[in-house]
Amino acid sequence: MNSLQRLQCLLAGEMADRRMFTMPLSQYSAALTGCSLEEHYNDPAAYARGQTAVRETFAPDILFGPVIVAAIGEAFGSKARYFDKGPPVVSTPAIEAASEWKGLPLPDPDRHPRLSYLREALRRVVAEHGREVPVAVLLVAPIDIPGLVMGLDAWLETLLFDRPAAEAIMQRVTPFAADLANRCFADGAAFVVWTIGFASPGFVTREILQEFSRPVLVDTLARVHGPVVLHHLEFPLVANLDVLSGLPSVAGFVLAQGDNLKRARRLLGADSILLSGPASPWMRRAAAADVEAVCRKTLENRRDDPRFILASCKGDMYIDTPPANIHAFRKSVEEFAGDRR
Amino acid sequence: MTPGEHPDGELSDLNIRRALVAAISRADRERAGQLLDYWAARHGYAAAYKDLLEPALKRIGRGINSERFSLAQAYVAAKVAEDMLTKSAGSFAQNSEQRTAKGPVVLGNAEEDFHALGRRMVATMLRSSGWVVCDLGNDVPAAEFVDKAIEIGARVIGVSAMTVTTALNIKEVRRELDARGLSGRIQLAVGGAVFLVADGLCDEVGGDGTAPDMLEAPHLFAELWARGERFEDAR
Ligand code: B12
Repeated sequence: MNSLQRLQCLLAGEMADRRMFTMPLSQYSAALTGCSLEEHYNDPAAYARGQTAVRETFAPDILFGPVIVAAIGEAFGSKARYFDKGPPVVSTPAIEAASEWKGLPLPDPDRHPRLSYLREALRRVVAEHGREVPVAVLLVAPIDIPGLVMGLDAWLETLLFDRPAAEAIMQRVTPFAADLANRCFADGAAFVVWTIGFASPGFVTREILQEFSRPVLVDTLARVHGPVVLHHLEFPLVANLDVLSGLPSVAGFVLAQGDNLKRARRLLGADSILLSGPASPWMRRAAAADVEAVCRKTLENRRDDPRFILASCKGDMYIDTPPANIHAFRKSVEEFAGDRR
Repeated sequence: MTPGEHPDGELSDLNIRRALVAAISRADRERAGQLLDYWAARHGYAAAYKDLLEPALKRIGRGINSERFSLAQAYVAAKVAEDMLTKSAGSFAQNSEQRTAKGPVVLGNAEEDFHALGRRMVATMLRSSGWVVCDLGNDVPAAEFVDKAIEIGARVIGVSAMTVTTALNIKEVRRELDARGLSGRIQLAVGGAVFLVADGLCDEVGGDGTAPDMLEAPHLFAELWARGERFEDAR
């Protein structure tokens, strides 16, 4: 069975030969091919070679386009700082205050160099692997975009104390977010993953979740023409899933390592795909045996759940994660399937 | 509606304390401000800060560490403290030592660190307890911290770092202080969530002291300032 066939089983609610497993190995793939991160984040061909190496080395069931959230900030005019050993971060936001959004042009997903890089890299990975392995791309939901454009604190300030301004910002941002997602689907993405930090209990209050984040998500997701997976970003998310269930276009959720998966399944119903597993910062430091044990426990927890995918949570896998830990992740899935037979 | 017109006007001090924690938890900055004003009208602004706001912030601070509060709520807590400072500026002037400006001190994120939120909240809390803060922003090179401290006569440099890697860049600030013979005279405060999880990190990076959150920061700065003065006096 190839990964695409496993996915078809999963969507049909049937058990495949084994569990699907995945983790974003974007920056990590540069380590596999010995490419500098500068090249990795600029040259689509170099990026695609990296995903080929990922597939050959670890064979995850979902490959990824570049995980480069800062590029979305750059597309709006923010400056990003690039590092030798980690992904770029927004260093100087494009604007400082909500009032400056008015004059800010929306980026063109076909023309902006950072978005062109992202999409061309995605297309190349799809062209090479898409017939056997689904390819996902990690973007951010509209509610998380202003943090990359005006800085996290200015966005919090607006959201908390000037709701009409926050809503006006969403009016501008949502068409862009939907458009970028749709173009990624046209490029061949099997899923678009959206971080939803500003719908998580670690970031916002219930009031913001119910009165702001959910309506924005409903509105944008209704304009997206493909399956979206919502991503917890950093903190546990399960406490907010009651409000986040039933959103249009949402195929599933990536949940945090500590999230209660039984409760998540109860809240989301049987059709939603659940993805969860060890967190990337944890995997960077853990012993391989511990990685295997945590994976095993998670698989055990979801034993009879056909729509579960073992996936690392939090961000992109760190470049200095021991390869043995990634192999342990994969091994847990293979051995679990062996035990079940 | 002001608390005076509201049935809360009849509430006990204890209930007002609870109402304040609840208002901040709901991210209701306006209501929190009303409750503080109401208290201040009866007991004065200095008491409103010390007896009402500070205990409430402490409760919330403990909640933030245990992930019971969100970034939004922590942000509101810092804003409420800032509002207090603005509103009370006049009234403090007459009676409280809180108004005598303290500092100046220098604050910033370590080189290559871009976690602005915690640092900004520390700046807000320091200012609301009377410190003059020169905030250098994100990604500040070691030499810039020290240059600025000399320029403005700061006895404390506060460096915020959120990751292990960027925390290690604080060593450069210590080296710079040593190289210019300023260690002791200028004290180095360090902080950020990583200092809570990595044992011994403060010593490792050459910090003179650390505090777990924004509420403890003013206390730490006062202690380090005094230490810097004692060091100078002893010479
Ligand atoms: C928001 C966030 C970001 C935002 C920051 C945006 C902004 N404008 O601030 C962005 C997206 C940019 C970001 C980027 C990264 N992040 Co980050 N981020 C966070 C997150 C979710 C919250 C941090 C925060 O704002 N907390 C709220 C504030 C109020 O708390 P605080 O910062 O701790 O500050 C309080 C105290 O520590 C103290 N304090 C702070 N500074 C000081 C200074 C002094 C002198 C004193 C006395 C006290 C003090 O007072 C503050 C108020 O109470 C944390 C997760 C977490 N659980 O903490 C990760 C986290 C800090 N990030 C992490 C990482 C790894 C990164 C990245 C490397 C990710 C990546 N691979 O790209 C980059 C690095 C960027 C860089 N070079 O700086 C890790 C750090 C791991 C580690 N220990 O090494 C964390 C813990 C997430 C994780 N679990 O992996 N991040």
